Amino acid sequence: MKIKPSVTDAPILSIRHLAKTFGKNKVLFDIDFDVEAGEVISVIGSSGSGKSTLLRCINLLEMPTGGEILFRGRNILDRGVNIPEYRSHVGMVFQSFNLFHNMTVLDNCVVGQMKVRKRSRAEAEEKARYYLDKVGLLAYVDARPRQISGGQKQRVAIARALAMDPEVLLFDEPTSALDPETVGEVLEVMRDLADEQITMLVVTHEMAFARDVSQRVFFMHDGVIHEEGSPESIFERPRKQETQEFLSRFLAR
Amino acid sequence: MGKFQELILDIGDLWGQYGALYLRGIRSTLVLALVATAIGCVIGFASGVLNTIPYTKNDSFLKRFVLKSIRIVIRIYVELFRGTPMLLQAVFIFYGLPYVTNNMYRFNSIWLASILIVSINTGAYMAESVRGGILSIDPGQTEGAKAIGMNHVQTMTSVILPQALRNIMPQIGNNFIINVKDTSVMFIIGFPDFFAAHRSAVGATYLYFPSATVEMAGYLTLTLVASFILRSIEKKMDGDQHFELAAADQLVMAAGTYRHRGEREDSYED
Repeated sequence: MKIKPSVTDAPILSIRHLAKTFGKNKVLFDIDFDVEAGEVISVIGSSGSGKSTLLRCINLLEMPTGGEILFRGRNILDRGVNIPEYRSHVGMVFQSFNLFHNMTVLDNCVVGQMKVRKRSRAEAEEKARYYLDKVGLLAYVDARPRQISGGQKQRVAIARALAMDPEVLLFDEPTSALDPETVGEVLEVMRDLADEQITMLVVTHEMAFARDVSQRVFFMHDGVIHEEGSPESIFERPRKQETQEFLSRFLAR
Repeated sequence: MGKFQELILDIGDLWGQYGALYLRGIRSTLVLALVATAIGCVIGFASGVLNTIPYTKNDSFLKRFVLKSIRIVIRIYVELFRGTPMLLQAVFIFYGLPYVTNNMYRFNSIWLASILIVSINTGAYMAESVRGGILSIDPGQTEGAKAIGMNHVQTMTSVILPQALRNIMPQIGNNFIINVKDTSVMFIIGFPDFFAAHRSAVGATYLYFPSATVEMAGYLTLTLVASFILRSIEKKMDGDQHFELAAADQLVMAAGTYRHRGEREDSYED
């Protein structure tokens, strides 16, 4: 079955009763939410609360053990769904960048377009250069991943994801592995993307980013979305005790 | 000092009579080592790739059965050929084929037999090297490839194998150098290599030590040149250490600073 991104009213992603267990360990259960086009959702919570697993389940890097993931109204957990094709419409930015070490910065952004999208090299390079320019790294096309800083690597990773023309971008703690000096440049790029109405689901510990940039914030606790709401309601008037404790612990640091 | 002169003279005599034989032997040794290492690498890569196709509990019984069987077959192959001397394998296969087929089949070409035996042997070693090479690549590389929609084959050919190949280049070089030396055991089935030239030469002249000196110098030259070439190939694979920078990175900012919404528009106003 081909997943053609169609012009439909269905949300980009609808997560329905999603569950994930590792052995006897329940990591996620009864996760339920929609991602509408153009919105930025931040997911916050302590480590071990299931944030990253949620993102990895959405991209099927982990196989959910229950529930549904509807992409444009189609359940991608059905048998016979072309999973690589689905993944190509859902960009992912990792905490540890995962740039291909055997390629230049440019080729990192080109290879997926050519192999998966079947674009010509010329077309793929043009697009790659466009997005590398957008993240401020056009000058670095010939560099290798080991030659650039962490912040630059992460910006290349963002350009690589964008070059696939994804419908939604998933960020898995994109600044957690960076030294403080380079966090700003990555957040800056992400703010620009938000300004351009690129749909994003961001797992983050950057509370300022979650507060300023996202339309909705999910607070995860013990494998469920414990509280959700606008950034104002979560950060100014958290209702649940766990949310208050998390925020006070976090902001006290 | 007299002994040294005697040695030089003896080598001169040997080379005068058997120089062409030595040189032909060197050529045979090199060709056999090169071809067998190349084929061995192909066998090793095929085994290594087949050995590392992932499967999970959720896969169909058939898929799991096939993949498990492949792994067992490769395991037996590796253990068998790694665990017995190549000299013996040569005898076993070369004389075994006509024996078990009642002379229906036999090796008509010593070259074919030698290439086969050395390749299979190298493949057994390479299979383990390649498997290790693939396992040594950070799982994040696979995830990065999957995340942009690559399938297993694309991930392997574009991302994992090029890196694994780079990592095991030293082992490939090792195998090549071992092959340059160890193909000498193929004299047992009559392969005309460099060492076979020594056997012919001393059979007629009894100049054992001078001929051995020629052989030592010859093998050492071959392996030293091979080492040098392999090093430069590795360097080339690492790519350019420098890259041209067209302009400075505009986004690098000091610690913890980032712009707030709306600030951009205001910042140029008084």
